[in-house]
Amino acid sequence: MTLLIGALIIGLILALLALGVLVSFRIFSMPDITTDGSITLGASIAAVLLVQGVNPVLATLAGALGGAAAGATTGILHTQFKINSLLSGILVMTALYSVNLHVMGRSNVPLMQATTLASFGEKLGEWLVGSKTIHILGWPVASADAAVLVLALGFTAAAGAAMFVFFRTQLGTAMRATGDNPQMIRALGSNVERNIILGLALSNGFVALSGALLAQYQGFADAQMGIGMVVWGLASVIIGEALTGTRSLGLTIVGTIMGSVLFRLLVAIALRWGLNPNDLKLITALFVFAALVLPGFIEKLKRRAPTAT
Amino acid sequence: MLTIRGIRKTFNPGTVNEVRALQGVDLTIEPGSFVIVLGMNGSGKSTLLNAVAGSFFVDEGTLTLAGHDVTKWPEHKRAKLIGRVFQNPFSGTAPTMSIAENFALASKRGHARGLGWALAPNLMKPLRDRIASLKMGLEDRLDNAIGSLSGGQRQALTLLMATWLKPELLLLDEHTAALDPKSADQVIQLSDEVIQRDKLTTLMVTHSMQQAVSLGDRIIMMNRGRVLHDIRGAEKKRLRPEDLIDRFEEVRRRELLDESAAAMLNELYI
Ligand SMILES: Nc1ncnc2c1ncn2[C@@H]1O[C@H](COP(=O)(O)OP(=O)(O)OP(=O)(O)O)[C@@H](O)[C@H]1O
Ligand SMILES: [Mg+2]
Repeated sequence: MTLLIGALIIGLILALLALGVLVSFRIFSMPDITTDGSITLGASIAAVLLVQGVNPVLATLAGALGGAAAGATTGILHTQFKINSLLSGILVMTALYSVNLHVMGRSNVPLMQATTLASFGEKLGEWLVGSKTIHILGWPVASADAAVLVLALGFTAAAGAAMFVFFRTQLGTAMRATGDNPQMIRALGSNVERNIILGLALSNGFVALSGALLAQYQGFADAQMGIGMVVWGLASVIIGEALTGTRSLGLTIVGTIMGSVLFRLLVAIALRWGLNPNDLKLITALFVFAALVLPGFIEKLKRRAPTAT
Repeated sequence: MLTIRGIRKTFNPGTVNEVRALQGVDLTIEPGSFVIVLGMNGSGKSTLLNAVAGSFFVDEGTLTLAGHDVTKWPEHKRAKLIGRVFQNPFSGTAPTMSIAENFALASKRGHARGLGWALAPNLMKPLRDRIASLKMGLEDRLDNAIGSLSGGQRQALTLLMATWLKPELLLLDEHTAALDPKSADQVIQLSDEVIQRDKLTTLMVTHSMQQAVSLGDRIIMMNRGRVLHDIRGAEKKRLRPEDLIDRFEEVRRRELLDESAAAMLNELYI
């Protein structure tokens, strides 16, 4: 049960990363590897501030802003210096590796003693329930875990709703149109370059927010924690699209959150059954590969089938 | 209204692919006039419209629109003054977004876009009425993705979008060329209606002699990046398609002559 709740919480926290990837990959059609650096940046900034005793909400916010700045940098490299979008992301991600080490001062910052959003949630849970455990459907659950789960759910749902609302505003619609048809939105007077910079800032802000929360939940920030995270986000987005389709923005956002949670659960189960953790990234990459290639492949088979009979 | 002074544009200068697309164009377009732009393939019609819209900056010359020197304005800034419909029906709309959202974008052309709700309630009623007036049955499909519509429907909507806020200048670049004849007629008729009703200053590129004689009050014929003929007033009114075809023939003959002369010189001297 504890395992299940842990997987759900991490799935919800990483759903913010997946939402960030949804913005760059689906709305702007730019697979943005800045993600790998900005999730760590969000975690490092938040961790360092928390160790110094800064209010957890402020520390989390600062982490998210750091990610937004990283995303804006990628956007500026791409739009102002005309560097290919993938390469812009690679450059910023690489630079962020050093930046993150500088921010942390070493490669790992533990958060054992610090007051974090997670420790706050745990205390809140025990205080609300009044005992260390609570029974959910007959299962004993640490009330601390239950409270953090509820908080994570509320937080991610609010973030998803905020993203939905933003993309229905005048500015948000113009940003979606930028990914859909830049020529059109330029002819309607919107600054495409600015929209891309804003979009990547928003995307990486979400990613870094995810990193800041993840660090608080797992109790440390680590320079290596970002490796392969963009692919993780892609996998969540793709699972989400399979679950809810892409007919509307709202469904896509809900799907992405569900995709992240489901993917994390599957991984937790697989690890429990003895999957070697070292194989996780390989399997994630293979999964995304299959999800990208299979639809086209199946189409081909379908088209070929009639001629064969 | 629109004043073009000596504009030049060379693509890929100094390379084997160098193209002198505009070689000194001067034009003054009065407010409310509807100008048809003719010319053979590659004569620089689209380049002229793109230069006015700001798709690129001109190498030389100046552009003045509605009292502003827009020569150095980026495209998105000029969009405040200009409405555009492109040749390709896919170019003028955001395909995965709904009809209503596309119009919401158009209703903010040239204005700051903030955090106000895009599908503002006070937009929906006039939008529904205007789209109903097209008699295409689209008023009940405002939530459908615009990419699911036919090319003709999309061009009609793009035209409405471009003129939703009255532009100082309307640019139409062969906007019916990709349509079947029936849809093309519909869109042309709609264009004429809108242009007459709002007295829009318009530049319209076409290859149709029929459209050229029946629409507009002035014809500009381009050749090799220059304005070759400028027909207006009574002469424009009297013009028949045959007259235009004669002028094209004349251009073609001259080009052929140029070519054979060049070939002869080549043979003689090289
Ligand atoms: N972006 C560009 N890069 C390089 N060359 C270009 C570019 N745009 C136009 N040209 C060239 O400039 C010349 C004029 O092209 P333009 O598109 O203005 O012709 P047009 O009169 O619109 O022709 P058409 O009737 O075929 O549309 C052509 O030789 C074309 O190849
Ligand atoms: Mg053209």
